Amino acid sequence: MFSLGTMTPASWVRAETITEIVGELSSGRTSLMLACLRDVTVAGGTAALVDADGAFDPASAARAGVVLSRLLWVRCGGRRDAALAATDLLARCPGFALVILDAGETPPRVSLGAAFRLRQAARRARVAVLLVGRRRVAGAGATLALRTRRDALAWTGSRRAPTRLAGMSTRVHVLRNQGAIWDPSLLAATSNERRWWSA
Amino acid sequence: MVERLTRVACVWVDAFAAAAAERAEPALRECSMAVVTGAAPATRVVEANAAARERGIRAGMPEAEAVARCPELIRRPTSPACVDAARRALLDACYGVSPRIEDVAPGLVHIDVAGLGRLVGDEGAIVERLSRAGRAVGLPARVGVAGTRTAARIAARAGLASIAAGDEALALAAVPVSALEWPEAIAHALTRWGVATLGELAALPRAGLSARLGAPGLAAHDLARGVDDPTPWLSWSPPPFWEEAQELDWEIDALGPLVAVLARVVERLTVRLSAAYLVADALELRLALAGGSHEARTVALACPMDAPRPLLTLLEHDLAARPPHAPVTAVAVQARAIPRRAVGGELGRSTPPAERDLATVLARLVTLVGAEAVGAVALADSHRPDAFVPARLELEAGPDTRADDREAGDAVLALRRLRPPRRVSVVTDGERRPANVCGALAPEARVVDCAGPWRVSGDWWDAGAWARDEWDVALSDGAVCRLARDLVSGEWYLDGVYD
Repeated sequence: MFSLGTMTPASWVRAETITEIVGELSSGRTSLMLACLRDVTVAGGTAALVDADGAFDPASAARAGVVLSRLLWVRCGGRRDAALAATDLLARCPGFALVILDAGETPPRVSLGAAFRLRQAARRARVAVLLVGRRRVAGAGATLALRTRRDALAWTGSRRAPTRLAGMSTRVHVLRNQGAIWDPSLLAATSNERRWWSA
Repeated sequence: MVERLTRVACVWVDAFAAAAAERAEPALRECSMAVVTGAAPATRVVEANAAARERGIRAGMPEAEAVARCPELIRRPTSPACVDAARRALLDACYGVSPRIEDVAPGLVHIDVAGLGRLVGDEGAIVERLSRAGRAVGLPARVGVAGTRTAARIAARAGLASIAAGDEALALAAVPVSALEWPEAIAHALTRWGVATLGELAALPRAGLSARLGAPGLAAHDLARGVDDPTPWLSWSPPPFWEEAQELDWEIDALGPLVAVLARVVERLTVRLSAAYLVADALELRLALAGGSHEARTVALACPMDAPRPLLTLLEHDLAARPPHAPVTAVAVQARAIPRRAVGGELGRSTPPAERDLATVLARLVTLVGAEAVGAVALADSHRPDAFVPARLELEAGPDTRADDREAGDAVLALRRLRPPRRVSVVTDGERRPANVCGALAPEARVVDCAGPWRVSGDWWDAGAWARDEWDVALSDGAVCRLARDLVSGEWYLDGVYD
């Protein structure tokens, strides 16, 4: 099943490749990103997050189980060019288990050549690169691309006057799979799988 | 009460000002060099290195006479910063051998070596260890060991490695009085009396010396017998910040030459840290600028380190990002030192980035986005929303032991923060619940679902009291947001978007 139990870098976010998670706002893409971060940092890896908009919430990450002391957070203040350059620098540094570019709602334009150069850098440094944003940017440079869609919301408290958001479920679709998920049964289960995120 | 030490070592560096200059510029060791002071034409030699002394250059000699005796003599002005850095370096080197040392004067250190035998070896090994420690920080140290500080000091100057306990007077008897520096009156009297060795001086009647020379005469007699004066032992402890500095003879206004100078300074600093088994935890660069102004900058370190290359790279990138406002006339690099931790790797665990690689990447990232935008964070001890503090990036490989406390399938909905929170206008319904939001992500959006209010407050005991009502709302444009109403100002804010 496509569950957090299999959301390890060894399962689908693989070293030396580029993985993309795309989706609209409130579709669950950032929650999926936190799940990846959690798996990497808990296993003892060092991760880097290039945050184009500075939208990362350490409190959410800590609740999700991310070991914050193993996460290098780079805030780019909305500068897309700086975010891309920072991602490129980090992807060339051996030792990072995972380098994430959270490009937000307006991802930068990346040429196919630049995407392949990034993949080549990740391959040399044995780093897993994860691109998160509204739309895909790496094209054929990505080994695996996933799209998240919001499925439902749940609220706590009385039905008439709920007091808090309880959670959100999302569906995950595989947009591109260049051998990242090789097991057909896992791929079938992954496509259109429903995930629940508790608030 | 005077403390009795069983065995004392003395580390002494001859012509310390010249040795400090050679430490700053190692190429000077191959040349005849003199440290000079005073404005021309009254410039005089303060100290000369061994090569210059062989050519007859002596302290106090006019510069013109020194140059006449040795035309290829290289002169360097007196540099208090250079001497001070060398003095600290010698102390650091000795501190790496024994934790109980006394800073007597520039280039003169007493070390309590009692009990070091089981750790280092016999006294010959201790002497060798101290000599090696001195050479490691670029200072040619001479070492003597004896039962008293005075005897150890004379042994170091006279080249006697070790004096057995109780044999001080006998061992020092053959040392010529000219090997030591005396007050002018004492030196004159000794010459007049024909006293050539310390043994002859020690044989003089004490009462007669006191009658003729007074207290200095008695002090000279004690010195000749290797007896300590009743000064208590003043232990030296290392400061929390270690500094290495260099004054420049010329102004530097380009990055390349400045980095070349910094490379030597950082090299000396890291050698000192290594000698004391310490690593740098934080780095500060202070620049003296032309015109008398100063500039200080703190350089973030991803992890404690003592390798000179990454530290130099960090400084270089910082200087490239923020060049000094004026030409530089002196540099000082200060490191906060912490004990080195032994970290062993384990098979099968991921390897964190190497310090050198990480330092280089961090320096470039700081140049790219600024120092305050790079680093690890930790949650602050506060209920205030979005409260976090900078933290140190942990580089030790290995699974997180706290992971056992968490559920394996814990899936948490993330919030994407807006920093600063965006001010929005909210229209409420009859039950004072949000009904319409303007200025959030879309110009205007209808609230489809909402939950709240969730009241939070804090710091009510302080001037910075805050209180707010939080609402989770699903908007007609598809976004699920967290709105907050500040109870102090009554304003509405978009805190973040659930994603």
